[in-house]
Amino acid sequence: MSRLDRTRTSAHQLRPFFSSQNLLNRADGSAQFDFVVGPAEVKLRDEKLDKATLEVVVRPLVGLPGIKDKAREQAIRETLEPLVLSGLHPRTGIQIVVQTMKDDGSILATAFNATILALLDAGIPLKSILGAVTCIVDSETNQILLDPTSQELANAKSTHTFVFDNKSSITSNTESKDQEDAVEVATLYSDSTGLFSEEEYFKCAQICYKAVQAVHGFIRTAVQKKLEKEQQQIHS
Amino acid sequence: MATPAFTFTPSTFQKLHPAEFFRRFTTEGVRPDGRLLDAFRPTTVHHGVISTANGSAMVRIGGTTVVCGVKAEVAEPKLDAPDQGYLVPNVELSPMCSSKFRPGPPSEQAQAVSEAINRVLKESKVLDLKDLCIEEGKAVWVLYVDAVCVAYDGNIFDAALAAIMAALKNVRIRKPTYQEGTIKVSGGSTATDENSFTLNLARTPLSATFAIFDTTLTILADPNVTEETISDGQISIALDETGQLCGVTKIGASSCSQSVMRDCVQSAKKRTQQLRDIMNQQ
Repeated sequence: MSRLDRTRTSAHQLRPFFSSQNLLNRADGSAQFDFVVGPAEVKLRDEKLDKATLEVVVRPLVGLPGIKDKAREQAIRETLEPLVLSGLHPRTGIQIVVQTMKDDGSILATAFNATILALLDAGIPLKSILGAVTCIVDSETNQILLDPTSQELANAKSTHTFVFDNKSSITSNTESKDQEDAVEVATLYSDSTGLFSEEEYFKCAQICYKAVQAVHGFIRTAVQKKLEKEQQQIHS
Repeated sequence: MATPAFTFTPSTFQKLHPAEFFRRFTTEGVRPDGRLLDAFRPTTVHHGVISTANGSAMVRIGGTTVVCGVKAEVAEPKLDAPDQGYLVPNVELSPMCSSKFRPGPPSEQAQAVSEAINRVLKESKVLDLKDLCIEEGKAVWVLYVDAVCVAYDGNIFDAALAAIMAALKNVRIRKPTYQEGTIKVSGGSTATDENSFTLNLARTPLSATFAIFDTTLTILADPNVTEETISDGQISIALDETGQLCGVTKIGASSCSQSVMRDCVQSAKKRTQQLRDIMNQQ
């Protein structure tokens, strides 16, 4: 079986990740540049007495920000609010700017992943990290394809984006290493559109959950490498 | 000598400790407005409320009231889809409906709701946009779907989607006539089946929204504005009449297990069926 995207042979393969020393997250399809400013001073009207105020700005590849970008801002901000330990920095503001560099599908998932890497880079205290993956149900083959390209997205019957943190999974059988075992997953953020059945939705959640482990692994490795490099620079 | 008791009236307590006040009710299985945790507010749907629009409807869910008007205009098609018309849905949340909205450009919430509805309409293929074509490459119908909130009491998404679907159902557009390269749309005489057409909707997605409270791990159906303000997150489920899902959103709050999502889907199925019955009755 072949996907439209010829670089991948498996339906469940993600595109390779790439991150530079400054933790710019780039999948070879979609690219995001994220920067975080904070904790910094915040406008009086946005000031919260007991927490840091989170602000997200999403800038598209071309043109002025539209309602799609506002919706993404809301999604990123609402998902991050419970994760950021904002009580440690009351009356401050944390501003996150997400700039799309290249759009080849799965843009929201890439934005989430870039955001968490940027927050880690900025040293903002977090309860956990998150990982995001998009999948589609192809309209012709009814197959579930992970991390779709724009071309594959155009052929999708339904599109699903899931964000998972690295803490919650309630495995029904922790002993079993069987891939087919249904894991009771807990989603941090879920957004699905198109036409799909209940079973398709939960199956996509399962598949994305397994894929997100790779994203979490990548984030850990990226932070580790960056710290090693910094250590080297200090001691050289 | 009696020690003075430190007591509050309920309304004072609600202002000082809104979350705690609310928790006192939810632990007993009810909410401050008397509803059970999984109950939706009384809903009414009125069709054809704006006579000058091509289609219109008004939906009330509890205190939230949304009026939707659909206007059809002739326009040039988009370059990448020369044989298709298009829909422009817009949800308006102005200071008219609640003091929490400031005058000026649309707030983030209004834009996010508009975008969410736009995606449901587009990606669940509610309407075959080719039906809106007048002359390929030259002229198509564009439907401006404006959902204006006139009273805001939480759960704008459900109310706006229901109002938009009810309005689209009673849209009537005059058939255009061609005269030497120009399109003429007749006015005047009453619209009949001969000189006008209705929209052929492939499906009618309707939704149910729930609020998530992290501290008490409760899911509340159809939050009103006070519940929405103190809630941590929201789950919205949209279904069509065949029981197929047209949209699932879970945003905010900490991780939600699959069993919670399954319960919400079941509850949404019942609610959307109830909504459909209300819509078809009136």
